Amino acid sequence: MLLPAWSRTLTTTIDGNTAHLRPADQTLLQIKDLVVEFDLGGGRIVKAVSNVSLDLVEGETLSIVGESGCGKSTLGKAILQLPAPTSGSIVFQGTDITKLKKKELRNVRPAMQMIFQDPVSSLDPRFPVSRAVEEPLKIWNRGNEAERSAKVDELLNSVGLDPALVRDRRPYEFSGGQCQRISIARALALEPKLLICDEPVSALDVSVQAQILNLLQDMKDAYGLTLIFISHDLAVVKAVSTRIMVMYLGKICEIATPDELYSRPLHHYTSALVGSVPVPDPERKVSATLLEGEPPSPLDPPSGCRFRTRCPAATELCATEEPMLRLAADGHYVACHHPRA
Amino acid sequence: MDSVKKSWVFRITIAWFTLIIFFAIFGPLLPLPKWDQVFDDALSVTPFKQGHILGTDSNGYDIFSGIIYGARISLFISFTAVFVGGTIGSAIGITAAYIRGKFDYVVSTLFNVVLSIPNLVLSLALIAVLATNVDPNVPTSTGRRIMVLVISLTIVIIPILGRIARAATLSWSNREFVLAARSMGSKDRNIIWRHIVPNVLPAIFAVAFLAIGVVIVAEASLSLLGAGVPDGTSWGSMVARGRNDIEFAPHIIIIPLVCIAFTVIACNYIGDVIRKQLDQRQAKL
Repeated sequence: MLLPAWSRTLTTTIDGNTAHLRPADQTLLQIKDLVVEFDLGGGRIVKAVSNVSLDLVEGETLSIVGESGCGKSTLGKAILQLPAPTSGSIVFQGTDITKLKKKELRNVRPAMQMIFQDPVSSLDPRFPVSRAVEEPLKIWNRGNEAERSAKVDELLNSVGLDPALVRDRRPYEFSGGQCQRISIARALALEPKLLICDEPVSALDVSVQAQILNLLQDMKDAYGLTLIFISHDLAVVKAVSTRIMVMYLGKICEIATPDELYSRPLHHYTSALVGSVPVPDPERKVSATLLEGEPPSPLDPPSGCRFRTRCPAATELCATEEPMLRLAADGHYVACHHPRA
Repeated sequence: MDSVKKSWVFRITIAWFTLIIFFAIFGPLLPLPKWDQVFDDALSVTPFKQGHILGTDSNGYDIFSGIIYGARISLFISFTAVFVGGTIGSAIGITAAYIRGKFDYVVSTLFNVVLSIPNLVLSLALIAVLATNVDPNVPTSTGRRIMVLVISLTIVIIPILGRIARAATLSWSNREFVLAARSMGSKDRNIIWRHIVPNVLPAIFAVAFLAIGVVIVAEASLSLLGAGVPDGTSWGSMVARGRNDIEFAPHIIIIPLVCIAFTVIACNYIGDVIRKQLDQRQAKL
């Protein structure tokens, strides 16, 4: 079939939904068409992440936001192959790690580390702090005992813990924030390039959240990290991100810089999210429309645009055709048929 | 833990274990009559009479010596069965829960199948198959009977502890520190040994002590049914042999029964103490 010239660009976007990707040679990590499915048995398959593409330039912080169950954590874990995605490619430092054998993958692992949501469950309750932080060094036989011990002290110092005080204590003796610091120290032990933070502060008190966010920022500068920051809290994300990616039911809705996203959210879902951020000002009127209802079941997502069942601007088109990511402004991409003005 | 250590129940339990384990190990060295020595002049003597601490039974065997020798057999059978069965069961259960998938499905189905057969029926069937000579007139040796008992009770224990190990592993292997270890490039073998096994062990120990009690009772029941250790050399078979004398010499049956009961209660209590410690530790997490 002969297609007009303009439709060719359209076809490429439909194939990959990759309009927002930057040239591969500039990126540290490039993910294309990532699909993560979970087999629930009885022929029921949940597509937790469907055809997500994203990329990261070195030194950047990409935040992934969305409601619970939108697939953001699954996406983060799939990047580390925990578990491996169902399909799609993950090119990290030039190699597609989804195609690596077990041994080769193991050699790539130190460059990608993760911090988890529950600070207490991220540490083995039986290991004293020194052993927890030393573990990655031991796995890779880095240095001798004295060198490792010195490195552990250095790491603990850098995350703001006094090695002399904490070395021999066990995780249950610490608060959530302190445990998160220990997790960060452990993740940094192997000097990774990419650090995936899966809701690192959502289990913490607000005052501690700020400390941990500052710490992550400091560590990012000190160790030259590239961060993927997964959160459901837009207020938290605003402070740390270079770019923000909004996800809904396993799909990308919108990608933009934080300023752009907050001042001019184009997707109706983003606008609802931004509107739901509490503002400590009693005078301010609540102008944004708040979302109603629950997200539909990922077992049986709506046709076309997945947000249409809760979208104020939904039309026939939204039910029949899936919106693709397209450029709306400089560095601002949105997947919506009827974006907000 | 300190408050538990101070409780008198705990002290009695420990004292009882020390006592029976001491007698089980050093019993033969003590200046006591042999367990199979017959006192023709002292049949069914009540305790503390005619120089027999716990009396004698209707055949003239010294009951105290019988209890001591029986402790060796009963404890050997139950500890070995639980240790071997627990080790095999835990290894299978932990591996299955860690790798999941089809292997896990097969293992848990097998566990459930074995668990669905009543303990006694299963061990009776195994004994019938394993401990019978081709020629029914040749009696099987006591050693072989004990071996077969241990093996059949081990097979009973494997799914009991295996299921506990599997369940505990499932809950631990989903913790984020396991995920973290994997993301650091830790090998599966190391994750299991360093992170899973040490955390799962307390749960297994708690149930293993309960299982020792179960096995002691099972061994006694098998003896009563005539499928246990012959010649009255275990507590169960002492009960079995003395059951006809219950009317006129009840102490013959009561003494071994009390020993069984005390040991089983002590095992259950220790299992309970471990479980409570475990709960407290988990509450702290």
